Amino acid sequence: MGLLNELKEKYRTVSIVGMAKNAGKTTALNFLIEEAMDEGMRLGITSTGRDGETTDLVTGTEKPRVYLDEDTLVSVPTELYDLSDAGLEILKMTEYRTSIGRLLLCRVAQSGYVQVAGPVATSQQKTLCSEMLDMGAEMVIIDGAIDRKAIAAPDASDAIIISTGAVISRNMNKVVEETAHMVNLYGLELLEEGTAKDLIEKYASRDKVMFINDGQADFPEILGGLGNSRIMDQAVADGADHIYIPGAFTAGMLHEINPSNLKKVTFVLKDPTRIFVNRGDWARFLKKGMRVKVMENIKVAAVTVNPQAPAGYRFDPEELRDLMQKALPDIPVTDVRI
Amino acid sequence: MNRRLSNVRTRQRSGFEYAVNALDTATPYGRKKAGEMKPFFPGEEEELRDELDTLERMVEFKRDYVAQSAELALIFMDMRECTGTVASSKTRTLSTVELYEMKCMLIKIEQITKLFDKTEAPIPDRFIPVSVSRLLDRLDPRQDRMATFYIYEEFSEKLATLREEKRKAELELRKGMKAGKEALKKEKGIVLTPKFDCRISRSDEEQLEKLMAAEELEIAEQDNMWVTFVLKQTEEDAARQEEIEKISLEIEDEEEKVRERLSGEIWKNSKILFENCERIGELDLTLAKADFAIKHRCVKPVIIEEHRLVIKEGRQMEAEESVTGKGGSYMPVSVELYQGVTCITGANMGGKTISLKMIAQTALLAQYGFFVPCREAEIGLSAYMQMLVGDSQSVERGLSSFGSEMEELKEIFDHCRERSVILVDEIASGTNPAEGAALTKSIIDFLKDKPYITVFTTHFDVPDKDIQKLRAVGLENADFGKIGEEIRYANRKERINIIGKYMDYRLIPAGDGGIPKDALNIASMLGIDKEVIEKAKVYLKGEDA
Repeated sequence: MGLLNELKEKYRTVSIVGMAKNAGKTTALNFLIEEAMDEGMRLGITSTGRDGETTDLVTGTEKPRVYLDEDTLVSVPTELYDLSDAGLEILKMTEYRTSIGRLLLCRVAQSGYVQVAGPVATSQQKTLCSEMLDMGAEMVIIDGAIDRKAIAAPDASDAIIISTGAVISRNMNKVVEETAHMVNLYGLELLEEGTAKDLIEKYASRDKVMFINDGQADFPEILGGLGNSRIMDQAVADGADHIYIPGAFTAGMLHEINPSNLKKVTFVLKDPTRIFVNRGDWARFLKKGMRVKVMENIKVAAVTVNPQAPAGYRFDPEELRDLMQKALPDIPVTDVRI
Repeated sequence: MNRRLSNVRTRQRSGFEYAVNALDTATPYGRKKAGEMKPFFPGEEEELRDELDTLERMVEFKRDYVAQSAELALIFMDMRECTGTVASSKTRTLSTVELYEMKCMLIKIEQITKLFDKTEAPIPDRFIPVSVSRLLDRLDPRQDRMATFYIYEEFSEKLATLREEKRKAELELRKGMKAGKEALKKEKGIVLTPKFDCRISRSDEEQLEKLMAAEELEIAEQDNMWVTFVLKQTEEDAARQEEIEKISLEIEDEEEKVRERLSGEIWKNSKILFENCERIGELDLTLAKADFAIKHRCVKPVIIEEHRLVIKEGRQMEAEESVTGKGGSYMPVSVELYQGVTCITGANMGGKTISLKMIAQTALLAQYGFFVPCREAEIGLSAYMQMLVGDSQSVERGLSSFGSEMEELKEIFDHCRERSVILVDEIASGTNPAEGAALTKSIIDFLKDKPYITVFTTHFDVPDKDIQKLRAVGLENADFGKIGEEIRYANRKERINIIGKYMDYRLIPAGDGGIPKDALNIASMLGIDKEVIEKAKVYLKGEDA
């Protein structure tokens, strides 16, 4: 029983996201592709589009060059079509443009290496994935963002695989803690149904900070910078029960709020990728009674660990895997190299 | 001869451009044709009638062949421009992506041809593309007509053989390497990635030493931090690898040959392909015109030899859309115009300007081969049309409204020739009334014997002699008590709408009643102070007396 089998029971599209560069994202992708080959499972492979990376795309440093088996479905831009080592049957020319031509939806007619690219917009990514599924892919794997800072929003996928590893820290415990922190943030509780949620949904398109006080929405004039937090502190003192923050959620904001008022309010964020509070601060504020909920969270399907860091040090693979698994008991943890 | 029917301003202000922009062409070919539309001129009546007959058949097709017309719309969807690719096939070998696009286009062309093969649809032959099935067969060796493309094995026996050889060699190689990988793991505990490599940090001396010692591995890459090992190929594997590379080159060669052959086939058929793009463009454009006619309830105009415009229940489309959009009902206007001068008078807000636009829009649409938005129309073709309606553009240019009117009037005089249509809205209303009236009368005198259809709207009293005088009915038959009642509690915007509701826009012969005086009524209804209105009435009486 491999990781792939476990995933395919639950998800139809999965994207692989790196905790940092060199966390082993491409290795994880190759691992899943290899597993699919052994299982005779038909995959669809695409990638999160990143515009303005033409040179990287051509040299292949950012775009994965993966070996794909016959019958795999894959998205390839027109300009890379001729460079592909695999034989690709063009099934469809999509409307999605990248800096290196329109995306083609192809079937691998003869196995070989392919440089994968995908659409930039999340909505296009979603459409492309469902097209691949309609064309017979049993599961679609998206080569996702390179590191967590690059994730702008929950992906187009049903769930994500987080690739993490020794690159995060020389201290194994820290690697595990940081990863667990991120997984926990991604799984933050959704805001429950009710007036606050209705109001936020109604005004979300304004993209503005919103104070909700007993069913009444207020949009403060936000000047930017730290002044914001004082306005927030005042709002909390005045009895706001929810504060919706569409942008970044930082420790600076929290520091300004009178600690005794902190537990009176629930912070609501668009999604967990907006959180820029480190693990230590996060834990401290939680202790003080901070409540944070999200409008949308991110399902983490699995975590892959890479015991090797580019700086040279290396953890014991099994120890790292077991420690990670202990920290994340509900999520499958794999070392794709073992 | 300068073959220009009208200037840009006239096409825009009349609402003709609005109608053209509403055309919903589906293909790049149709869009191109729409951009190249040319009007019909006097002497081309027969050609225009043919064009309109064709359009009538297309309207029938849209109405009576719903399934086929829906199928056609589906075929038109995602149709791409391919003339550039066809032209390129003369000088170079097309890429696989280009061949794919050509195949998709050919499939669509074949679908259109087949659609009309089995339908007794009233579509003229000149719109139906010539069959391209033989060329398509060349690009579709499996004859499955799928919109997919690859240099399939069916294109070349040699290619099929080569690919099979490559596949076998790769499988063998992979098997060999996998066995090596497994053995390494089992015997030495060294784990390789699926790519048969292993990257190790220099600082991990113990592991590094272990890998260095393994004779199954060799260093593929190294820098001051990393060493990447790959599985060393056995002699057998190396031979296979070499074999694979050799086959790959041969495959590339053979694929190129196939593409070259197919590109040649495409160029050989280029004349037919270009012709088909033209036909599809015409078909698409004419269908868009038919759609337009159905959607806007347009009728086929009767094209007559004499220079005359008869429009029964004509509708200016922009105004109609704006009125019906607000939930109101649009009042159509009928008019009969002959060479000579027609004067339209009537109340403010009485729809005179809209009627002028309607006349221009109808006449222009007809001459461009459209059906027209009215119940019936008889159109005699014109050699030139210009409409002079005041607008804010000239004011922005820094000209006073009078100045820009005179500029345009000169343009009209310079361009008019036999069989022109001149439409002038309240000229000289922005200057002193004595001179304005005098100028209006002299322009009418100047134009009334010319071979033009001239229509003026004016508030000035002009002599009845030798001209047709029409009057917008206005509020003549309205119940002022009722309007007053409704208006009392209305806000500004509603007031305008209420007046609009009671306004009768129709044009009737003016009779002898002089010019209608509804201005004070309307001013009062729009909430102007009573004192002002009463005083105006006093002045008016004094003037009359």
